[in-house]
Amino acid sequence: MILKVSTAAFRPALAIASLLTGSVTLQADERDEAIQALREQVRILDQKLRVLERKYETKEDSTAAARTAPKITINDKGLTLASGDDANSIKLRGLVQFDSRTFFGDNGITNNSFVLRRARISTEGTFAKNFAFQVVPEFGGGALSILDANISLTLRKAFTVKAGKFKVPVGHELLQSDSWTFFNERALPSNLVPSRDVGIQLGGDLFDGTVLYAAGVFGGVADGASSSNSDFDNEKSVAGRIFATPFKNSAGSPLQDLGLGVSGSLGRQKTATALTGGYRTPGQQTFFRYRTTAVNDGQIWRLSPHVDYRNGSLGVLGEFVVSVANARPTATGAKAALENKAWQVAAGYVLTGENSSYTGVVPKANFDPTAGTWGAFEVVARYENLRVDFGAFPLFADPAASADEASTAGIGLNWYLNKAVRATFDFYQTSFDNSSLVPTSLLLRQDEKALITRFQVAF
Amino acid sequence: MKTLRLTTLLFVGTLATAAFGKTIELLNVSYDPTRELYVDYNKAFAAHWNAKTGDTVSIKQSHGGSGKQARSVIDGLGADVVTLALAADVDALCGNAKLIPQDWQKRLPNNSAPYTSTIVFLVRKGNPRKIKDWDDLVRPGVSVITPNPKTSGGARWNYLGAWGYALKKFNGDEAQTRQFVGALFKNVAVLDSGARGSTTTFVQRGIGDVVISWENEAHLALREFGADKFEVVVPSLSILAEPTVTFVDKVAKKKGTTDAAKAYLEYLYSDEGQEIAGRNFYRPRNEAIAAKYSSTFPKLELITIDAVFGGWAKAQKTHFADGGVFDQIYVK
Repeated sequence: MILKVSTAAFRPALAIASLLTGSVTLQADERDEAIQALREQVRILDQKLRVLERKYETKEDSTAAARTAPKITINDKGLTLASGDDANSIKLRGLVQFDSRTFFGDNGITNNSFVLRRARISTEGTFAKNFAFQVVPEFGGGALSILDANISLTLRKAFTVKAGKFKVPVGHELLQSDSWTFFNERALPSNLVPSRDVGIQLGGDLFDGTVLYAAGVFGGVADGASSSNSDFDNEKSVAGRIFATPFKNSAGSPLQDLGLGVSGSLGRQKTATALTGGYRTPGQQTFFRYRTTAVNDGQIWRLSPHVDYRNGSLGVLGEFVVSVANARPTATGAKAALENKAWQVAAGYVLTGENSSYTGVVPKANFDPTAGTWGAFEVVARYENLRVDFGAFPLFADPAASADEASTAGIGLNWYLNKAVRATFDFYQTSFDNSSLVPTSLLLRQDEKALITRFQVAF
Repeated sequence: MKTLRLTTLLFVGTLATAAFGKTIELLNVSYDPTRELYVDYNKAFAAHWNAKTGDTVSIKQSHGGSGKQARSVIDGLGADVVTLALAADVDALCGNAKLIPQDWQKRLPNNSAPYTSTIVFLVRKGNPRKIKDWDDLVRPGVSVITPNPKTSGGARWNYLGAWGYALKKFNGDEAQTRQFVGALFKNVAVLDSGARGSTTTFVQRGIGDVVISWENEAHLALREFGADKFEVVVPSLSILAEPTVTFVDKVAKKKGTTDAAKAYLEYLYSDEGQEIAGRNFYRPRNEAIAAKYSSTFPKLELITIDAVFGGWAKAQKTHFADGGVFDQIYVK
């Protein structure tokens, strides 16, 4: 009874307590659910993070593996075999130039021809990162010869030592690759600079690549000539070039690709043979040669200031060369200093909008008739002049057989089918000055009008 | 006197040859999870070969995704023997490289597969996602780990196991099977290049709810990382995986190691070789030895590559060649 009374008395209180407890339990359940949801969210995020970390980890592993795996690359620069760390590599490159030469109004000279102008398979490579080599045989023209064969050691960008046979650092157009000059034949000034010689050279980049320099000691060769791979006399030449592109790192500047250079050589030569094999027109016909009795005896020096400018599709090149040789008309004749000079101005404009470049135009779209793309087209023009020292006539050169001056105007069209293939169509008209009224050389009796077309593969 | 000298010299020479036997070096290019098996086996074979011939044999191992390993051998990795995850990868050595003859599988018993395995699931202790069979791997939210079938032999077995299960479930309906396998690969969080990488992802990096794994690899994970952390789940149906072995004729001949390379593989079929396989969680071919390990290897329905897929050549071309079914599924 007492219990009944007590229960009845507490019933409302119990009811309130029960409600309160229920409410607390409900709140606790909601809290637990929220915690569970948060835990799940954390778990999912944790998994996502772990997945990302693992993907990064495996990517690192595969990158490390790739670094050690040897690499084979075949592209428009040739075939390259390289070690995974790029410290060692061998490159196989090639150049084939097939020319058609047609001469107009040439007074019956038999000179229209097909010519395999250049045919080279060259090998270049790097060993232990710093050592490099280059071997370039020439199968084109009339005979097999070694054009370049050299070894170099690069300790830093500013310090590369090269030894062997390679281009002497004099001139500008001659130092450009045969494949990518504006015209299919170089201009007259290249007659006055040495081509390839045996020697040792120091070179490199300075000031963030804005200045290139090269200086070396060489055996010494005549104008336009190359070494026969050996030089047995005691006379040597020094040669050097400095080429500055002061605005190279000024992105957006119209002068960014302006380059100014000067090069020269100085040496002593005393040879029993002729001074030079002769100076040739762009049509590759000889318009000047010394008498065979003439010999070098004394100092030879050359100087060549030059400029190269590129701005978008436009490219301009200017070059001047003076070559002075002390020579005798015969071994016992009176010595004289002969000063020959040449210059050229050339320009190209890429009609299809690609950039003009010292290393070749890269078409935006390769030649592919099925896709309606035609590669890149560039028009080019050039004027050039070479003047032989008047003092060379008549003792050093025969005025009836050699011109004392040649001037050439050229126009052309270059068709870049892709990065490796180019067709060129160039017309050159060369006029000659000579003191003989009736030259014995048929070439000199009228202007040379030459159409030279070339189909070339260079990689 | 002369005869005596000659006899003495011959005797001494023979002794010297016996005492200073040749040293032979073999390279075994294998797939990902066989590291432990071959560490164990190489010791046994070296002792056996030395006792038999007096020669010292030193065996180097190379491991990675089976397909990748085959590619490396074709590219010039000088393997005396290959012990790969599946016959298709070994077959690749017959192609242009012509490193082995076409009939290489006939050179050793059981189609040159000295041990077998199958595909199981490894889950976290307590199986929190309640994964029991292949169906559970396609459930939304289940995170699956498996390697890439393009580079890993084990992954191709995994893929084909799933395909075989779905084909049976959907009574041979290929469209539904494709959808099933596609759904499974949508749940894959990380696609490692090899089976060992997948184990690492799941076990050591703590990613995923389940890793589809070689049976041997799953048991190895239990042994190495603790049965208190993981569980092996055996699905209702799986595939009979037959890793195959062969010596690489062209390489072994050039190195003068043909005899040792052949013997190395033949010894896998010996009692000792089979014991080592069982000990390392591979199913031995020798029935008596397999019986000793029956508790490790539960019985389950196993489909075969020949019966369901028409052999490796066909399966490879249909599913794993560039533009094959896997590419279509995984791109989607």
